[in-house]
Amino acid sequence: MIPISYNLRSLRVRTATTLATALGVGLVVFVLAAALMLSDGLQRTLNLGGSDDAAIVLRKGADGELSSSIEDNVLGIISAAPGVRKNQQGQPLAIGEVVMVVQMWTQDGRGQSNVLVRGVPERVLEFRPQVKILEGRPAKVGTTEVIVGRGILGRFENLELGGEIELRKNVRAQVVGVFDAGGSSYESEVWGDLFVVRDAFGRDGAVSSVRVRLDSPEQFEGFEAAVELDPRLALQAIPEPRFLKEQSQGTADFISAIGISVTVFFSIGAMIGAMITMYGAVSSRSSEVGVLRALGFSRLTILLSFLLESLLLSLAGAVLGVVAALALSAVELSILNFQTFSEMVFRFHLTSETVLVAALLGAGMGILGGFLPAVRAARVSPIEAMRG
Amino acid sequence: MRLLDLAVKNVRRNRLRTALTVAGVATAILAFVFLRTGITAWTSAADNAAADRLSTSHRVTFIMPLPKRYIEYFDGTRGRFEGVDAAAYAVWFGARHPVQTDQFFANFAVQAETFFDVYPDMIVPPQDLARWKETRRGAVVGQALAQKFGWKIGDIVRLEGTIYPGEWEFEVSAIYETKTRAVDRSQFVFHWDYLNESLPEPQRGQIGWIATRVSDPTRSAAIITAIDAKFEGFDVQTRTVTEKAAQTQFLAGFSALLRALDVVSVVILLIMMLILGNTIAMGVRERTREYGVLMALGFRPHHIAVFVVGEALAVGLLGGVLGLMLAYPIIQYGMGRWLEENMGAFFPYFRIPPHVSLVALGLSALLATIAAVLPALAASRLNATEALRRLG
Repeated sequence: MIPISYNLRSLRVRTATTLATALGVGLVVFVLAAALMLSDGLQRTLNLGGSDDAAIVLRKGADGELSSSIEDNVLGIISAAPGVRKNQQGQPLAIGEVVMVVQMWTQDGRGQSNVLVRGVPERVLEFRPQVKILEGRPAKVGTTEVIVGRGILGRFENLELGGEIELRKNVRAQVVGVFDAGGSSYESEVWGDLFVVRDAFGRDGAVSSVRVRLDSPEQFEGFEAAVELDPRLALQAIPEPRFLKEQSQGTADFISAIGISVTVFFSIGAMIGAMITMYGAVSSRSSEVGVLRALGFSRLTILLSFLLESLLLSLAGAVLGVVAALALSAVELSILNFQTFSEMVFRFHLTSETVLVAALLGAGMGILGGFLPAVRAARVSPIEAMRG
Repeated sequence: MRLLDLAVKNVRRNRLRTALTVAGVATAILAFVFLRTGITAWTSAADNAAADRLSTSHRVTFIMPLPKRYIEYFDGTRGRFEGVDAAAYAVWFGARHPVQTDQFFANFAVQAETFFDVYPDMIVPPQDLARWKETRRGAVVGQALAQKFGWKIGDIVRLEGTIYPGEWEFEVSAIYETKTRAVDRSQFVFHWDYLNESLPEPQRGQIGWIATRVSDPTRSAAIITAIDAKFEGFDVQTRTVTEKAAQTQFLAGFSALLRALDVVSVVILLIMMLILGNTIAMGVRERTREYGVLMALGFRPHHIAVFVVGEALAVGLLGGVLGLMLAYPIIQYGMGRWLEENMGAFFPYFRIPPHVSLVALGLSALLATIAAVLPALAASRLNATEALRRLG
């Protein structure tokens, strides 16, 4: 084996070339990692709002809370279904909510955009214990008071503590509190009283969705069977994690697809860069290779040594790329969710899978780019090389 | 000029490296053109949106309907708005293909009598249009959508409702073509009456929005004010915007993504510069002695610099041209066609804009020059004696 320090020193001698190549690989890794982080961040934000033992009931055929509508009188049937957990007072943990989308003026002057307004019943905080009031106080039941998620706070005009937003003509809602929902998509919503919100939009007598908490995730099948049994009710039950995943799938897939197709092009470019560098390394060191061969190192050893050098080069780039991507974790951004057509605030999220994929991409570029040059190095004839 | 001759000859000296560099530049240009085409296609809907069309909907939220009787204030029954030539109401239907549920396409129920007067850019043959107006469950579908699902005139098609539950049956009465590229060729429109009659009583008589065509786009602002003022005292207030403004606003929701793509298209140019710069720098290092000879022969440092930059320029332009030659078959006729057919709602027209080709070519020359600056400086600072002494 040729010691690894030989490769390291060779890389160091040609600083500019090494840096340029590693930087090229790093940029590609950065772009891929950023796209994956974006799509992961989006899904994570939605998934954080769900729990394994919760289920959501929608009208059959509805593809989200916005297009669903369930009559109030059905709520009792759903709450009484088997598997629904009860609190200490014996009340079933089931909440019906109404989801509306309201146009508001953005703070950054982009014009108007949509904000999701959720009408929630009195017991919502019991149902979602992860929700905490950060500033101000909870909204009083039966009033036009609302609380605002911390993610969307200040992104729209008047969406701040003490601000007033218009639900309809002559119906104004006062922001009395700001809440934290553990980084989930609820932080991009405005919560008001169920009855007040749906009255403002003329949706009396029906909710958009019903969420229940089950005794355990295994109870879902029994619950589903009971809810979907009566065809007249025309309901569908979905475990909450699956529902949330489906909600973000479209947007997340769109981002990943763009990221991956861009990466394919980019990595070809960076691979060619690595190839040029390694061919350069081989040709300028052919007399060294000749000496190594004369000393008894086999062709295979030479081949492996140059491959290793290329791998080191591209891995150094991959590390650069991942470190740069890591800095993105602090960036918060807001885009339109395809499913609700309303703004959702989320962060780039780095997973260990992304790091692995990035490292593999870096290694792949190094090995593919370094292979042909390494073959050329292995073919150097010792006598000719030392003579020339 | 002999010096440039020499530069071009040098390009051919290390053929493998030159070929690789040209390939690298070509890939980068291809990626750049792809990204810019994508960004342009995505935003073109707003750029090309009809300036003479307005849309009036619920002031606060798009999910709440307007009462159907609002149309009476447009069509003459209870008055008209000065400057409005045609008006038609519509409602979002939101159904999907029962089997290919993930294949999104826009579908809505419209006022059959006037809809195509408001949308003259969707072209339906007159006899087909007449037949559609007579067919209660008839639908007019875009040419791209018909092609994708293999629908022909006369076919019975079924859609699965999401907002309006159940299975809905339609007859394809006509297929529309489009005059301008910004119009989605995969829409599905049918009679509002058919939807309305099929709904339970409390849900009837509702429309999503009223689309109007104005005779003079420069007067849009005044017309918008007049329409919204009219309904101010009503139960449901309205908000009227131009089609262009609505599109721009929708896109603004994705501005974070578009900005990211902008950044990424710059990143690929950086990668290209790194590849080029590296190649040129390697060449300069290997030829140090030759530069020494040239200097000893009386060439001045700036000659050497021109020499290096000339070589970079030749490689960069070669790569740029090759990249464009690849871009047209791959993006224009391969991916572009596929995206138009399968994602027509987002990319109605995915073709390389001519200015992008020119910019790409210009950038490949410009960036090649910039990439050569450092190596060229290094080469021109050489001193003949030292250069000659140095070992290759």
